[in-house]
Amino acid sequence: MAETRFSLDPWQAELSAYPAVLAAEAKKASAAMARHLATGELENWMQEGVALTRHSPRSWEASLDYFRTSPLVVEKLAYPFLLHWMHWGNRLAQASPTLAGAFFRASQEMLGSLSPRSLGDWAQMALTLYKGDWRSTSIASRFLELSPRILHYLALPEAGDFVRFLDILGRHSPEQAMECLGVAEGVLGGLERQDRRGFLHISLVLVEHQWRDARSFFQAGAKVMSRIDRGSRERFLLLGETLARDHSATALSFIVDGSQSLDQIDRSLHASLLDWAADLLKTSPVAATELLKSCPRVLARIRGSDLQSWVDRGRDILAENREGGEAYFRLESQKGEDVLGELSKGVDLEKVREVLRMYCEALSGSPIQILPLQNLAEKGIGWLSQEKASTEGTTLYLPPYVDKYTAPRGNFDWFKVLVTHQCAHLEFGSFIFDFEREGHVFPNSRRERAQAKDGGAVDMERFFDLFSDRVLGRDIFTLVEDSRVDSVVKHEYPGICPLYRTVQQDELGRRPEQATLPLREAFLEALVLLSLDAADKAALPPDMAPVWQQVVAVARQVHHPQASVEDSAEATLRIYDLLSQIPNVRHQEEPQSESESPDESGPEGEQEEESSRMPGQGTSEVPYTSPQGVEFRGEFKPELVQLLNKLRQESRQVGSQATPDTQSMQSLIEKSAEVEKGKPGQPTQASAFIDNLLKEAGAQPLPTPGEGHGGGRNAPITPGTALSREEPLTFLYDEWDMHACDYKPRWCRVREKRMEEGSTEFFDHTLQEHATLVNQIRKEFELITPERFRRLKRLEDGEGLDMDAVVDAVVEMRAGVTPTDKVYWRRNKVERDVSVAFLLDFSASTAEAIDEGTRSPQDWDAPDDPRQYLAWFRSRRLEEGTRRGYKRIIDLEKESAAVLIRALETIGDTYGIYGFSGYGRENVEFFVVKDLKEAFSDTIKRRLDRIAPLHATRMGPAIRHAVSKLDGEEARTKILFLISDGRPQDHGYSRDGVEKEYAIHDTKTALTEAKHAGIIPFCLTVDRDGHDYLRTMCQDVAYQVVSDIRTLPRRLISLYKSLTA
Amino acid sequence: MALQGTRLAYKEYMVEEYVLTKEPFYLPVADEVQLFEAAHAQKVPVLLKGPTGCGKTRFVEYMAWHLGHPVTVVKRRSSDGDSNRSLPLVTVACHEDLTASDLVGRYLLEGGETRWVDGPLTRAVKFGAICYLDEVVEARKDTTVLIHPLTDHRRILPVEKKGQLVEASDGFLLVISYNPGYQSALKDLKHSTRQRFISLEFHHPPRELEKEIIRHEAGVDEEIANNLAKLGEKVRNLREHGLQEGVSTRLLIYAGRLMQKGISARRSCQVAVVWALSDDYEVQRSIEEVISTIFP
Repeated sequence: MAETRFSLDPWQAELSAYPAVLAAEAKKASAAMARHLATGELENWMQEGVALTRHSPRSWEASLDYFRTSPLVVEKLAYPFLLHWMHWGNRLAQASPTLAGAFFRASQEMLGSLSPRSLGDWAQMALTLYKGDWRSTSIASRFLELSPRILHYLALPEAGDFVRFLDILGRHSPEQAMECLGVAEGVLGGLERQDRRGFLHISLVLVEHQWRDARSFFQAGAKVMSRIDRGSRERFLLLGETLARDHSATALSFIVDGSQSLDQIDRSLHASLLDWAADLLKTSPVAATELLKSCPRVLARIRGSDLQSWVDRGRDILAENREGGEAYFRLESQKGEDVLGELSKGVDLEKVREVLRMYCEALSGSPIQILPLQNLAEKGIGWLSQEKASTEGTTLYLPPYVDKYTAPRGNFDWFKVLVTHQCAHLEFGSFIFDFEREGHVFPNSRRERAQAKDGGAVDMERFFDLFSDRVLGRDIFTLVEDSRVDSVVKHEYPGICPLYRTVQQDELGRRPEQATLPLREAFLEALVLLSLDAADKAALPPDMAPVWQQVVAVARQVHHPQASVEDSAEATLRIYDLLSQIPNVRHQEEPQSESESPDESGPEGEQEEESSRMPGQGTSEVPYTSPQGVEFRGEFKPELVQLLNKLRQESRQVGSQATPDTQSMQSLIEKSAEVEKGKPGQPTQASAFIDNLLKEAGAQPLPTPGEGHGGGRNAPITPGTALSREEPLTFLYDEWDMHACDYKPRWCRVREKRMEEGSTEFFDHTLQEHATLVNQIRKEFELITPERFRRLKRLEDGEGLDMDAVVDAVVEMRAGVTPTDKVYWRRNKVERDVSVAFLLDFSASTAEAIDEGTRSPQDWDAPDDPRQYLAWFRSRRLEEGTRRGYKRIIDLEKESAAVLIRALETIGDTYGIYGFSGYGRENVEFFVVKDLKEAFSDTIKRRLDRIAPLHATRMGPAIRHAVSKLDGEEARTKILFLISDGRPQDHGYSRDGVEKEYAIHDTKTALTEAKHAGIIPFCLTVDRDGHDYLRTMCQDVAYQVVSDIRTLPRRLISLYKSLTA
Repeated sequence: MALQGTRLAYKEYMVEEYVLTKEPFYLPVADEVQLFEAAHAQKVPVLLKGPTGCGKTRFVEYMAWHLGHPVTVVKRRSSDGDSNRSLPLVTVACHEDLTASDLVGRYLLEGGETRWVDGPLTRAVKFGAICYLDEVVEARKDTTVLIHPLTDHRRILPVEKKGQLVEASDGFLLVISYNPGYQSALKDLKHSTRQRFISLEFHHPPRELEKEIIRHEAGVDEEIANNLAKLGEKVRNLREHGLQEGVSTRLLIYAGRLMQKGISARRSCQVAVVWALSDDYEVQRSIEEVISTIFP
């Protein structure tokens, strides 16, 4: 083939300078190459290979790769292109031999997809990435290495974009560029072909404007695209791009969070949502982003068709007030909440919970709680469902949201039927089943059937023990009892019948096809239909009619208004006797011998009998599955409820140390058909289960006291959502967002706690210390009280004649003047009728020492007067006992409170003393030192002692809570006295934690609310620099600043006096 | 003192001359009738305790009539010849501006002269009527002190302004009513007053009885009466929650009367029960739900 023999010799010398492997490879390669190339070409090739070694000491390695890959490459490249290839290899080697090596190694694979013409472009890309330092070298070489797999997905221009992206990112952060490179194959491969271009484009825009987000975006890439409706992707990317260009800060959130949200909603809405977002973008990029982020939550409450109106309303608000609009779309505004409420057809449990609770309480006559189902499932006590309404004996659990019907009223009615049914279980005694008690309709057959004299932890268990097939027994009992309860309801409450008819009708639409059911299940289904007043729809085989007649006859008897749960039990036993005889076989092949005398044999031994009979028929039994639940009846677990009730009763018996019989509980749980075993979320161990049950029963009457930061159910709250109230003594309040000019609904959770008790020493000591002041105050205050009645004279009507006026009148008459008829007097009541709530600041800043810096903390206020000095000395001694050598602001607050209590007791006003602190909006602590309704006692003294500085100052909710307390008072004059040491502040009580205005405005709004409620607010602050913010905070609320805090007790009293005089 | 010889378009009585001519409808819940009879015979003042609208006033009316019928103990000065008549009953609804003078009497100006006018209590004392001070805690404190000498062995009424003492006639009996439902310390009955009376406690009647009462008073059929009584029972379950007192039998009767006139059941209950009971939206709604559950 070659004209002259090619020889390696001319290069041998040079090659021998390198490890032998190079020469060996060169020889091997040249032999292979010789088959494709002419001698001249071969020499050229060899020349080029050796030249590679010359670039740098380690460039022989590139040369080695060159020799190794050449034979493979040459098969794909014609000589001119091979030259091209060699040329670019050399160019790269000039830059860095590493690059060249990577280039050669990747070439063979690369050429599978790359046209030979583009070789240069490819190499050029690597050169673009190469900046001369080792980091960029590794990026570039990694790029070359991965190219075969990455560029496989990309057309050349797209690849260019990708490289540019890497290039820019690499300049900022080589690590991130490497990471992106690493995931590129997966990301690009995950994208659909038509999306890649747009994706790369936006990545590029993003990296140009906000490189920090680029990696996150790139990594999320494929997922982002797949979440969006295909037709809207371009639109979405375009929006993202606009954002990235102009308002880069929100771009990533828009793309990643926005797409996540879009993924959760109906795809057909994507196009219009993006249209609206584009529209909003013109005014506020934040609003556009929030729109997308909020849409799943919005759509959980309103229908897609109403979305437009929701957006329109938001747009109007946005046009008026940007912050307000943004809050609207963030779902953090009251207006937004209102609009949603208006548009929403569904019903939120939270909104109607109180109404339903009172409704249940009215019906059942016992205190009932209503909670979302989730709370029940979380307890791990046997209930798992998140949809099926149920009760565990004291609380009704309902789905959190209903959107079954197109009208809100329909959805509310659904709730109403759910609670009426659950409540009826309580009202009509489903859970007070007594094994021994007679029913009203059926004679008692339980006693004969019972094998054990006694047994089971609860009566329900003993009853279920009568069934060899517990599941079947349970299913029949549930149906019979549910239907009994429903029929009592219908009898007792005629008004609810129409609603019942509706839900029964809807339920019929949900029932499974009967034809497909095996025989026994078909019977159960027929029973369900019977209970839904649709017995005529039951489709049992004609030869089953006699049995069915018997079943119906029994089942109907429990519809008697007098029927009790014991009758349901009796009916269950009778129906069970009939149905356990029915084989669970498919219809067509059902045996003929069935309907005969199912009565005689007891439930025991049935199974064997059956199975011995069945095979003869040549059909096989299908395992039995329980009938599909009736939706509005939810779940019914009498056995567990009885157990829980029993445990509750035991735990309530004070002092009884009797440990619950866990063994019998364990056996109950293991037997019970009500505990679905092996399901996720269910405790796997019976012991864990028992623990949960015990906890549930024991924790019931007590609220969990003093929960700390991470306490149990206090799951951290995700930012930006309204809170819900789940524990007693917690209260939710709105918060004013000054930017949005709107309330954030249910934003803060106030937990009311009683102050712990210390000793009474502090109180007595303080009074002693301030003895002079106390005496003086008592005198002053005693002067206030007697002005209770004032005699009003010269009235037209009154209690008696005012003799002076009568004389005048008579004189006038005699003188011929028309006399006045105002001759009566009346005593007018000017009763002092004052309720006052003192709200003390317990924030951490009150721990500050008073007069720090001006005097040494040791003798900061040593008085000159020897008498006072003694008192001071004593107080110092006392404080040293508590490891403090100085007074803190809070100490003075405490002292003032003590003096104040004494004064108020003298005057007889109703007063409450409260403190507040907290951390974050979900944990505003509201301490009760003395409630308005409480009488003064040593307990109060002891509570006062334990006042101590705690956390932050979120005033708004504390004020709102105090207002709600005063609201319950009947006094004519109500006063809210706020004593604080400075401006309100709390985590998240200000934007970005620096802006103080927010907190001040919320506090101001809270104070204004107080005024609207007919309460006189008054602020007293001991912050010497307080004036500037107090002016804003208390625009039309009276306030005073105490510059010398030591005068606080006296000032407080005199202020109070003038305020109420 | 109605003008003689002139037919008036309305009936006007002096307080002590007003007697019931028809037997008031009253269903005894327990032995309250016998107790009252005994107290009357023994001149022991009676305190009626119980929520509003549970039948306290009706009971007093019934007793006035009842006491007049079997035993004619009262010597009367009326022009009517009928001897078998109800006892005269002087009812004073107390309010917070009711003063001692309002009860005892006062001087009035007439021409150039003053003239003394007896108050209702004085008249009842002189006449020997049953004096019923309804919701006595509402009145001013000085009125309660006024009744003290009347309610012990002395049975006298001091008329301070005239410098007189009026001895109570035989038939005189002081009955006061008191609603412990208001839990305000201001409106509590002082113990010195309380301990001068025997106390009869009234509660809302049980369902069966209330049904009968409603049926009779409102003239509705058994089913409606039963439903109304049921509603009463349910709403009273809510007593501790926002509702100071349960719905009164009176309101249930009103609801029944409206129904009798063709107003729909739910609407009648809404105006007579829901709106009458509470201004709280949630309480209103929950009661409305109870109503719609009970009434078709």
